[in-house]
Amino acid sequence: MNPYILAILLFSLGLGTTITFASSHWLLAWMGLEMNTLAIMPLMAQHHHPRAIEATTKYFLTQAAAAATLLFASVTNAWLTGQWEIQQITHPLPSTMITLALALKIGLAPLHAWLPEVLQGLDLTTGLILSTWQKLAPFALILQIQPSSSTLLIILGLTSALVGGWGGLNQTQLRKILAYSSIAHLGWMILVLQFSPSLTLLTLLTYFVMTFSTFLVFKLNKATNINTLATSWTKAPTLTALTPLILLSLGGLPPLTGFMPKWLILQELTKQGLAPTATLAALSALLSLYFYLRLSYAMSLTISPNNLTGTTPWRFSSTQLTYPLATSTAMTICLLPLTPAISALLNP
Amino acid sequence: MVYIMFIFLLGLVLGLAAVASNPSPYFAALGLVAVAGMGCGVLVGHGGSFLSLILFLIYLGGMLVVFAYSAALAAEPYPEGWGSWPVLGVMMAYVLGVCVAAGLFWGGWYEGAWVSADEFAEFSVFRGDIGGVALMYSAGGGVLVMGAWVLLLTLLVVLELTRGLSRGALRAV
Repeated sequence: MNPYILAILLFSLGLGTTITFASSHWLLAWMGLEMNTLAIMPLMAQHHHPRAIEATTKYFLTQAAAAATLLFASVTNAWLTGQWEIQQITHPLPSTMITLALALKIGLAPLHAWLPEVLQGLDLTTGLILSTWQKLAPFALILQIQPSSSTLLIILGLTSALVGGWGGLNQTQLRKILAYSSIAHLGWMILVLQFSPSLTLLTLLTYFVMTFSTFLVFKLNKATNINTLATSWTKAPTLTALTPLILLSLGGLPPLTGFMPKWLILQELTKQGLAPTATLAALSALLSLYFYLRLSYAMSLTISPNNLTGTTPWRFSSTQLTYPLATSTAMTICLLPLTPAISALLNP
Repeated sequence: MVYIMFIFLLGLVLGLAAVASNPSPYFAALGLVAVAGMGCGVLVGHGGSFLSLILFLIYLGGMLVVFAYSAALAAEPYPEGWGSWPVLGVMMAYVLGVCVAAGLFWGGWYEGAWVSADEFAEFSVFRGDIGGVALMYSAGGGVLVMGAWVLLLTLLVVLELTRGLSRGALRAV
């Protein structure tokens, strides 16, 4: 893509998120969200093949519908109460509409159907931007609103965790697996939102680090489905050894970093007297764990049938930067002992 | 005055039904012209003459005209309008829907929602809409710049998405 256009688009992507972060007025927050949607569209369509265009169209339609609902809800609130402040939505009707609009924006079940198909049509880098950066601005709003209905948030959270688990079980395409993984993690984030927003933020940030590592591993191996992943151990043997740890961290197993948010969320839910909810969420995490385990199995724990002298073949060294992947892998695996420090940082 | 406001609002609702019911972009755009024109009339009646003028010039005279020309480029030899029964049926259905909604929401519930933007109405030169524009350029300067940036960004995004004619992202271009 023309570097000037690319620079303008990336700048607008950053500006949109910054505007939403910095705003206290709903109109400005909406402007930031729309700017994000606009700026990422040419990035999604840059490869000009029909599947990418389909993904761009679906993304545009869902995000525009969500932003329009958000605007409608804030205008309704302004009509009913005269308030434009983000943190002052107290009337239940606009508050519920805003929650549902933001749920559509980030891809929570039952408003999740667009996410796997959109991610599948994108290359891994754009998919990474979609899964991480594009979630920041809606979450800035989610963390600030007064939730109207406690039941709604718990239902959104549990449904997302279950749909993310069950939906990902039948997938062979890695991008769809990552989409369902995103849905499941978003479910955990919303589950604890009304009890401890700082835990939501913690889950979001750990999810970012873990999914960043996963996308970069797949990008380095140029793998988009399980079959390619199964034969990619020859390209980067050390990375092949580390990838199961990254995937199991996504699955939330101790002693890896991914266990930290799940542990703290289960503790918070139990303290609030929602032990059955906590149990259901923990059991739904088993579903997700199964397909992460399947990916580790295909990639590192088994070698596909090969001749006796199957060794790492002669290959070019990859031109991809490995420093970001190295940093995020280290963070994905080793941050659990820092749980007290991280909780203290996020609970001022 | 009440009578002419009533006619404008009636035209607005009928124009909206026309936009929603017509499959051909020609007649739908015609409906949009009617909606915008009637809306401008309502605006003038409530004191927003500057806003109404800007709407007429820029929206109707700029954007809608460009849209009509673009629609004319995607020419249909036999556009379907109200002359064909299915379209007229959908139009009647929308009008019926509006009547049902009006029946449901009847009653004086909205009078408290209308806030006057200017207190002296016809006795002041500095009306509500003109004051709003002045505020937009003074106190709201930052948001204005951001709005302008977003418009430029939209232009660049559309140009990038349609780059390459039929070899590009949108084959129909």
